[in-house]
Amino acid sequence: MTLTSLVLRSMKKNVKHYYLYFFALIFSVTLCFSFVTIQYNPSVIEALEASGTATAGFESITYVLYFILIFFILYANQIFMKRRSKEIGLYQLIGMTKGFVFRLLLIENVVLFSLAAGIGMVLGFVASRFFAMILMKLMKNDAIVSLSFSMMAFSKSLIIFALLLAVVMIQIFIMIRKASLLSLFNAEKKADERVKKFSPFHMMMGIVGICLIAYGYYDSTRLFSVEGATTNNLLVNMLLILGSSILGTYLFFRYSVALIMNLIRKSKKGYLKITDVLGVTTIMHRMKGNASSLTLITVLTGLAVGIMTLSYISYYSSEADAKRLSPFDYILFDNKGIEFLNQLEAEGIEYEKTTFHLSMVNVKMSDLFNLDEKDAGYININQDAISPVVPLSDYKAINPEARLNDGETIITSYVDILSELLPLESGKKIRIHAGEKNYSLFIKDVREDEFFLSVLASASSPVLIVTDELFDEIQKNQNPEISTQIGINLVNEKDHEKAETLYKNLRERKIIEYDYQKTYKEYYDGNIALNGMTIFVTGFLGMAFLLTTGSILYFKQMGEAEDERESYTILRKIGFSNGELMRGIYVKQLFNFGMPLMIGLLHSYFAVKSGWWLFGSEMVTPMIIIILFYVSMYMVFGILSVFYYKKIVKEAL
Amino acid sequence: MTKMSFTIFYLSRESNDWKKRNVYNVGNESIQGVDEMAVLVARKIRKTYGKRTLKQEVIKGIDLEVHEGEFVGIMGPSGSGKTTLLNVLCSIDFPTEGIVEINGKPLKKMKERDLAKFRREHLGFIFQEYNLLDTLTVKENILLPLSISKVPKKVAEKRLAMLVEYLGIADILNKYPNEISGGQKQRTSAARALIAEPSIVFADEPTGALDSKAATALLANLENINKERGATIMMVTHDPVAASFCSRVLFLKDGQIYTELYKGDKTRQAFFQDILNTQKVLGGDGYDIN
Repeated sequence: MTLTSLVLRSMKKNVKHYYLYFFALIFSVTLCFSFVTIQYNPSVIEALEASGTATAGFESITYVLYFILIFFILYANQIFMKRRSKEIGLYQLIGMTKGFVFRLLLIENVVLFSLAAGIGMVLGFVASRFFAMILMKLMKNDAIVSLSFSMMAFSKSLIIFALLLAVVMIQIFIMIRKASLLSLFNAEKKADERVKKFSPFHMMMGIVGICLIAYGYYDSTRLFSVEGATTNNLLVNMLLILGSSILGTYLFFRYSVALIMNLIRKSKKGYLKITDVLGVTTIMHRMKGNASSLTLITVLTGLAVGIMTLSYISYYSSEADAKRLSPFDYILFDNKGIEFLNQLEAEGIEYEKTTFHLSMVNVKMSDLFNLDEKDAGYININQDAISPVVPLSDYKAINPEARLNDGETIITSYVDILSELLPLESGKKIRIHAGEKNYSLFIKDVREDEFFLSVLASASSPVLIVTDELFDEIQKNQNPEISTQIGINLVNEKDHEKAETLYKNLRERKIIEYDYQKTYKEYYDGNIALNGMTIFVTGFLGMAFLLTTGSILYFKQMGEAEDERESYTILRKIGFSNGELMRGIYVKQLFNFGMPLMIGLLHSYFAVKSGWWLFGSEMVTPMIIIILFYVSMYMVFGILSVFYYKKIVKEAL
Repeated sequence: MTKMSFTIFYLSRESNDWKKRNVYNVGNESIQGVDEMAVLVARKIRKTYGKRTLKQEVIKGIDLEVHEGEFVGIMGPSGSGKTTLLNVLCSIDFPTEGIVEINGKPLKKMKERDLAKFRREHLGFIFQEYNLLDTLTVKENILLPLSISKVPKKVAEKRLAMLVEYLGIADILNKYPNEISGGQKQRTSAARALIAEPSIVFADEPTGALDSKAATALLANLENINKERGATIMMVTHDPVAASFCSRVLFLKDGQIYTELYKGDKTRQAFFQDILNTQKVLGGDGYDIN
């Protein structure tokens, strides 16, 4: 019998051992190939170019994807090899050399990889169109995606796969080199060491773990506060938070869980319910071996949910952000390009027009924010901030209820990165000056969510509303760059296309004040295209994380189920029914899948909460949507593993 | 290798069900139960494995009764059907034909869930491979069968104290199975088998994995519990020394009961000789005598 025929024969007989590993391989190829193919899809390239979004994001994410997949395959291979260690031991027992066994496994892996590459590429090719369609949909691009095969994508994926094969073979080589015959025969048994006694050290570490996580969370809430950001270096602080949460998570799984479980069982004084036997005690004893993988899964879950939520926040806020940059469909300054209105009328397009007069004043920073010099750090509070002022009568178009007495002001349009860092308070006095003249104003109200000045007019500063008299006075002393803004909203949605052309025409002819002055729709389209691509890429990555972590958990649970088969036999023999055993297993599954998920979600919640406002204007809804989506996908793996256990328990007697 | 099963019948004090008589129909015959004191009754048991073309009959019609307080041994050469018989009697497997009744309750009619409950409350098990859960301490392992029962903690605590005293494992209660010796493990599993005060204890080759000293200690313990506490035990074994602790020994050959020996007033030594002689007659070939 030749080596090849031996390999093929043994593979045919062991199909059920292989399918898991094989599935992991196919899955990786599919993911990898479809992602690379998308980048070479002409419709996608066109759409990306049209919107001016770089493909660089795609490129860099591809490498992250490779990294995840390599890690995943190595993990799957490790589990696979452990299951087959007896077989490998047997080969050596009957006199095959390690080199021969290695060659045998090499042939086997080449066969597996080729098959997986074939199947995966076909699947990936089909999937790529589906993914490209999702991408287009996210970018709100109507172009039809054609199915196109790219030689580049093909060869690129092949190279990656060849590399992957090489890495796997190195792993196998090291495994065979290191393994003694005896250890091969016992590999399945020694999988997880048992906890024996709980020392005070364990207890301490358990508490330290929880404290570290709590510290990370606490620190994250003040990461972007002025005190936090100024007293320490931002980067150092971020690394500190990351480090303490990850280490805390590990210690939590490694020690705290076992500690808590042990306390529970101790409290039962020997009278364990069946759920305790299958849930509490097995979890406790397996924690030593499972801690690192559960930590990894937790961190990956946190990461995936975190980045997906942040990019979804951006995507979700695309419209609000565009509205902030250009609060009206079209904006004209200082009556330049006023022909636009005539043209609209000529075309019979109905519109509404709102005019604002504005000027600029200097505001003392130290008055605006409650900061003394020491706290403020890099913010020079002795500096003046320049703020636009708008007369009350104009402002009434936005807020008809507004009233002001002499010497009072309303601060509005103050939602931005700064408003999170430095909240403004009403009910105090500020000093402003325009030209040579100084005024003292009482802040009557701070209103955050109103926007009516274009970003070009306000420069993202908060806007002060003052009485008409004061405004006139200020205007006499100040000569601002922009003194009026006309906001134009179209009445009918259908007229947009025509109006857009008219506006762009004027802009090209340099009739409008600035040639970089964009319309609302341009801002919006730009946002959607960029954020659409971002959410697609991060979503893809998140899915890859989800599928790998879910699979790893599932593989692990399959292994545990096999290990515990004997216990199930004992329990069934001494008189516990199927249903009673399953109840304990539900508890265990709830823990194994639920715990990393819960903690991962908590991690991502705090991560997102600390800096979400850098990405958009709405946190809760996008976060809930992403979490619901993630949890429901994740649950599939939990259910799969419950089914697997069910089968094992049923067979146990 | 042959397995011997060792069955202990231990009459449940609460249950008087066994006094009722049941009548069954097997084939054309109607079978009548059962002698008043029988804890376990088996009638016309047959067990066939395999499909039509490759049928193999492992048990070929066995009738058997075990009475309260008996210590019954089952011996037989390899392949004589000892373990199959034990599995059928203890409800882990079902006979192809015939009836098994424990405490007057026919096992056949019970559903999986009821059967599990029945096993937990009325039967005890000791197996060759200790069969302890290694994630639980000795105490937790012993108390396992009580986990869903309504036995009050005080009563359980009392029984536990008594059993560990008998079995000499009082000082290892908080250890894990991987920290104790094989003999201690087997005594732990004996304690677990007895904690629910079952009507009968089944033991399959309980000394199989023990050295002779530990084996003798375990058997002496079981004998003690049988004599002093009236525990009913049924044990499968291939070891004539182990069998000599029993009050009655059944010999199986080719799926049928070949003969049975009673200890009566004989000494263990004399009974041991009898067992050896019977084995010789049976044809020592199939035996794997250690």
